Amino acid sequence: MLETARYETARRRRETAVLTVAISLYSAFVVWYFSALDGVEYEELVSEAPAALRDAFGIEALSTVEGFLSAQIFNFVWLLGLGLYFAYTGGGLIAGDIESERMELLLSFPLSRSRLLVEKFASLLLPIVVVNVVTAGVLYALVTAIGESVDATDLFFVHLFSVPYLLVCAAIGVALSVAVDRAAVAERAAVGVVFVLFLVESVVGTSTDFGVLRYLSPTNYYQPTEILVDGSYGITGSGVLLGAFLCLLAVCLVLFRQRDI
Amino acid sequence: MSVIEVEEVTKEFGAVRALDAVSFEVGPGEVFGFLGPNGAGKTTTIRTLLGLLTPTAGTAAVLGADVEDEQALVDAKARIGYLPATLGFDPGVTGETVLDYHESIKGGERRDRLCEIFTPPLERPVREYSSGNERMLGIIQAFMHDPDLVILDEPTSGLDPLKQEEFNEFVRQERERGTTVFFSSHVLSEVRRVCDRVGILRDGELVALEDVETLLRRGGKRVRVQMDSDQTTALADLDGVVDVTHLPDGIQFVYTGEYDRLLDELASADIRDIDISEPPLEDIFLHYYGSGATGEGEMHA
Repeated sequence: MLETARYETARRRRETAVLTVAISLYSAFVVWYFSALDGVEYEELVSEAPAALRDAFGIEALSTVEGFLSAQIFNFVWLLGLGLYFAYTGGGLIAGDIESERMELLLSFPLSRSRLLVEKFASLLLPIVVVNVVTAGVLYALVTAIGESVDATDLFFVHLFSVPYLLVCAAIGVALSVAVDRAAVAERAAVGVVFVLFLVESVVGTSTDFGVLRYLSPTNYYQPTEILVDGSYGITGSGVLLGAFLCLLAVCLVLFRQRDI
Repeated sequence: MSVIEVEEVTKEFGAVRALDAVSFEVGPGEVFGFLGPNGAGKTTTIRTLLGLLTPTAGTAAVLGADVEDEQALVDAKARIGYLPATLGFDPGVTGETVLDYHESIKGGERRDRLCEIFTPPLERPVREYSSGNERMLGIIQAFMHDPDLVILDEPTSGLDPLKQEEFNEFVRQERERGTTVFFSSHVLSEVRRVCDRVGILRDGELVALEDVETLLRRGGKRVRVQMDSDQTTALADLDGVVDVTHLPDGIQFVYTGEYDRLLDELASADIRDIDISEPPLEDIFLHYYGSGATGEGEMHA
């Protein structure tokens, strides 16, 4: 049982390590930068910025450490950076193996296609979980070290609720990955789709005429600023994301079971 | 009960018909050669047998499992070994890791024994493998779980001649043990040495299905005669003469007609030397392809 999940997860150790170190270093830089900027009136500075930009990157309450982390790390790295990263990785999940003809060997195994897909997808949980756990620890320790404090529960939930969001991004990639034969096509398309969805929420989110479009975007259902700055977390958003993830996964399974390899 | 049953299988990719009503059966313990040049539809047939492709029409069953019944086929795959033509092993992991993974899923009771015959550098990552080493790793994974049916797609490509011979000997031993082997290849000489029966595929159609012996018998004789070149025309005009090559000192052809007629004609000619032999399978193969517009050069691929 789960041999494929174990094997695929083991293959992700290196990328997980690189991703985690890179994001931890960036987080450390952001915390250091916050301490170095102490006393500068940057809220006044950013108030000059266009509303759309402030919305896009969740720029509020920059003078508090929560607001600063939310804008510099979660709205930027988690919503955009990791969202695109997992969409891209999901894009290569199946199409990459089809392109390299590795899929022929995998499908000669006594494993159903559904199980193969689910076990391969499960390997993405390693980077998702490790990046969140390590960064949460690094942030908490460093914020404490510069003499500030961040609510541990808020920090926990801002990471926890990012998981369904990242799963949806990955599932968008996988859905494209089962639909095409070439990994590069699926990867680029997945990055494009997730980026466009990010822009949809950022750009039209505040518009009264087209505001309704933001409900299409997964970023609408994961609001790090609300969690970290306001300490408010509804589970509805995460529920919507999990539902969307399961729907996308079902689509992936149907497409993968039906297609010719 | 047949191990492989293919009935009127047609596979179309859009407007392209890759397989056209192909039918054959492979019995238990048989080594079945599946011949054809690249692009004839051999791999398409194999992918259909493994459930990777859904046939457009017709039915196929492997070890009693309908290839369109996923659950039945998954159960059957525990008893199938597969060596694809292109091996997509992860370049970043060692051969050892590849085999560990395959063993965890399929089992590997014969792994150690196979690693003694076929010797890829297991401790090194697959990216450093030569094509021969990669092929040997593929052979090990195909046979390591002692399958009842092994499907081999161009199994010796990349192997050096010595390993090719060891592999052919290994396949003969597998036949003794009762393993059914589906041996897809465009190299006829090795198919002749290991297979009992041969199916020949051409442009998606099965054009012949014969015992290797029958195939050779029907293939006629190769005749090479040294004589004055102005006398060769009469020989070349005989019924049953095909594949004629005019040589500076004579003529070579394959003769499939009546031997008396040939001998009469030879008796009246002034012959310096003559050699009558069994034609190479490549030439027999040529007859099945020779009727088409395809050039001879391609057929010797």
